[in-house]
Amino acid sequence: MRAALLVALLLQAAANAAIAQTYSSASPVPRTTSLPALQALAIRREIEERFTIGLEAETRGDWKPAASEFERIVALRPAEPQGSTAHYDLAIAYANLQRNDDAARELRAALALDPGFLAAMANLISVDLARGDAVEARSIADRYVMLAPDSARALYSRGIVALRSGDDATARADFGKLLHANPSYALAHYDLALAEERLGRYDAAETELRAALTLAPSYARARFALGVVLLREGNHAAARDAFARAMQDAAGDPALANIAAAMRDSIKR
Amino acid sequence: MMGVVSRTQLLRVLAAVLLAGSAFFCGRIAVAGASSLDDLLAGALTPSAAPSLLAPITSAGRVGWECKPEKAAAAASSSKAALPPDPSPP
Repeated sequence: MRAALLVALLLQAAANAAIAQTYSSASPVPRTTSLPALQALAIRREIEERFTIGLEAETRGDWKPAASEFERIVALRPAEPQGSTAHYDLAIAYANLQRNDDAARELRAALALDPGFLAAMANLISVDLARGDAVEARSIADRYVMLAPDSARALYSRGIVALRSGDDATARADFGKLLHANPSYALAHYDLALAEERLGRYDAAETELRAALTLAPSYARARFALGVVLLREGNHAAARDAFARAMQDAAGDPALANIAAAMRDSIKR
Repeated sequence: MMGVVSRTQLLRVLAAVLLAGSAFFCGRIAVAGASSLDDLLAGALTPSAAPSLLAPITSAGRVGWECKPEKAAAAASSSKAALPPDPSPP
């Protein structure tokens, strides 16, 4: 009986050893020997490497080498999302090299590959404003607000485009909506006040400017605008005080300080 | 004699031209000053700056929580949207 048990245990031990037997590690087996497949793998590797190098260059502010890396990636025509992303990153390098027309072209290419790319829309509007293309800026801003109606950046961007192109009603609506969600953003109060002033709604403009100045008391541009609105309302003494204060607060903006001083001096006591 | 006359005439013509130019220039300023105070003020009331560019994106693309620029582009909060900051106290 004992002998039989011993034999059984030995057989079990031998079986376990066979199952658990290990082999020395072999070199990795290539997954493919196909030349096109190997070439595709090499290109994918190159794209990843160039992304890493290009992003590091952009972090350092080395825009020219960054542009070279992303130009090469774009030439390799990577699949999504790398295709649209490479165009987007290349646009940032171009914009910082003051090549705004090229930056706009790359952002359009990014949006052609990925029509819902909000960051590309945001950047294209800023680039278009820098290059003076109000028509494209407005078209992209409309699309941006349609896709992301609650986005603060979409509302702000379209509001600025609208103010610059004289569409005061749209600017009023966009900054009003932006402020509904962000009542403590002083710049939006100022821009809403500009729209109200242009629409002849001086009471509303004054309210917005006073809100901006409550949030940011040294906001010289808002103080100057308040002076203008008070002047339009016929409140000359208060307007004069506002221009005087704007002149003091605009120490870092000589052009604004000069015009504030001129306005202050033009109002008789 | 001829040379002196020519020089005198030339100086007179030059003075007349300068006077006419000055009058024209001053007149333009006066007209502008009288009629375009509104334009002057409107020109000073400039909208805020455009937002600066959103940051670069990695090869992973815009989809996913790691992509801060795309999140900023969609954020409802102005503090998370990379918008121009409010003026700070001097």
